[in-house]
Amino acid sequence: MSSEDKAVQVKKPWRLSLDGWAVVIALLAALLVRAGVLNHIPW
Amino acid sequence: MADVVVVPQVQPVQPALRFVRLIPGVLLLAGIGYAGKLLEQNVGKYAKAHQWLFPNIEYVLWAILLGLVISNTIGVPEIFRSGVATYEFWLKAGIVLLGARFLLGDILKLGGVSLVLVAIEITGAIAFMTFLGRAFHLKPKLTSLLAVGSAVCGVSAIIAAQGAIEADEEDSSFSIAAILALGALALFTFPLIGHALHLGDRAYGIWAGLAVDNTAEATAAGALYSDAAGKLAVLVKSTRNAMIGFVVLAYAIYWASQGQAKTVRNKAAFLWQKFPKFVLGFLLISVLATYQFFNKDQVGALANLSRWAFLLTFAGVGLRTNFRDMRKQGLRPFAVGAIGEVVIAVFTLGLVVGAEKLFGF
Repeated sequence: MSSEDKAVQVKKPWRLSLDGWAVVIALLAALLVRAGVLNHIPW
Repeated sequence: MADVVVVPQVQPVQPALRFVRLIPGVLLLAGIGYAGKLLEQNVGKYAKAHQWLFPNIEYVLWAILLGLVISNTIGVPEIFRSGVATYEFWLKAGIVLLGARFLLGDILKLGGVSLVLVAIEITGAIAFMTFLGRAFHLKPKLTSLLAVGSAVCGVSAIIAAQGAIEADEEDSSFSIAAILALGALALFTFPLIGHALHLGDRAYGIWAGLAVDNTAEATAAGALYSDAAGKLAVLVKSTRNAMIGFVVLAYAIYWASQGQAKTVRNKAAFLWQKFPKFVLGFLLISVLATYQFFNKDQVGALANLSRWAFLLTFAGVGLRTNFRDMRKQGLRPFAVGAIGEVVIAVFTLGLVVGAEKLFGF
C-alpha cells in the first residue's frame, strides 16, 4: 500500500474571510450607533 | 508494519499575537490619514493668510501623497506591513457603512442603469483586452488575467481568476502590477479630465466606477472629485465587483475545456465563494436605512464612520504603491494594460455621456 493511499485529508478550519470580517465589524458598529453607544462621530 | 508519514508541524500563530502585529501598521494608516485631514484644513488657511496662490487640495489627495512619499523614499518597514495591508478591510467596512447614505429606491434606479453599463463595459473590455493580448503575443493566461483585471475589479478579480484558471504566479504578479500602476495614474488623471470636460458629479462618479479598476482607487478617484461623485463611484464599482464570480466562472469553464484547468463541478458554490460579501452588507445597511431603522443623526454618524474607514484606505493606497517594484515587472504587460485602459476609459466615457442624455441622471 503506497503512502498516497494513506494520505490523510486534513480539513481546513472554517475561517471568516476579509469581506466577512468587514461586514461583521461594520454591522456591529451600525448596531452600536443604533443603540446609542456611539452617538456622536465627529468628522 | 504501518508506513509512517511524517507531516511537518507548522506552529499556528496565536490570533491575539496576529492582532497585536496589526497595530503598528493600522496606527500608521490612521496617522497618515489624519495628517492628510489636518493638511487640508491648515495649508489652505496658511496660503490664504500669506496671499499665496495655492490650489485647495482635499484630504484624500494629501493622504495618498503622504503614503506615496513614504513608500517611495524610506519604504514601509517590516513592522508596519501587516497592519498596512488591512487597508482592504477598512475599504470594505467603509463601503458597507456607506450603504446608510443610499435609499433602496436610489440603488434600484442607479443600480439598474449601472448594471446595463457594467454589462456593456465588461463585454467590451474583455473583447478588447483579449485582442490586444494576442496582438502583443502575450501568454494566453496572462491575457486572460489582464482582461479579468481591467474588465471587472482589479486585484481581487485577478487573484480569484489565477486559482480558477491555474495561471502562473508570475503572470498574476505581472497583471497585478500593471493594474495597480494604471490605477495610480487614474487617480491623478481622472479628476483632471472630469473637470476639463465639466462632467457633473453623477456622470463623473459613474465613469470612475466603470473605468477605474481597483476598488480602492475607484473610491479615491471618485472622492477626489466630490463627495457625491465618490458615493456613485462606490455604487457602480460594487456592481462591477458583484460580477466577479460570473466572469471568473466563464474563464474557468473555457480553460477547463482546453484541458488546462480543473473542471468546476458545483457552479453555485463557486459563484457564492467568489461573490464579494461586502456588497450584501452594503445592501443590508441600505435596506435598514430605507426603513428608518436609523434616525437622521444616526445616518450622519454612520456616514462619518464610513469616511474614517476610507481615510485609512486612502493612506494605504499611497503606502502600497511602489514605483520601483512596478518598473521591475517589465514593459509589455504594462503597455497592453495601458493601451487597454485608455481605450476602456474613452469607451466608458462615451457610454456615460450617452446614458446621461438617454436617462437624464
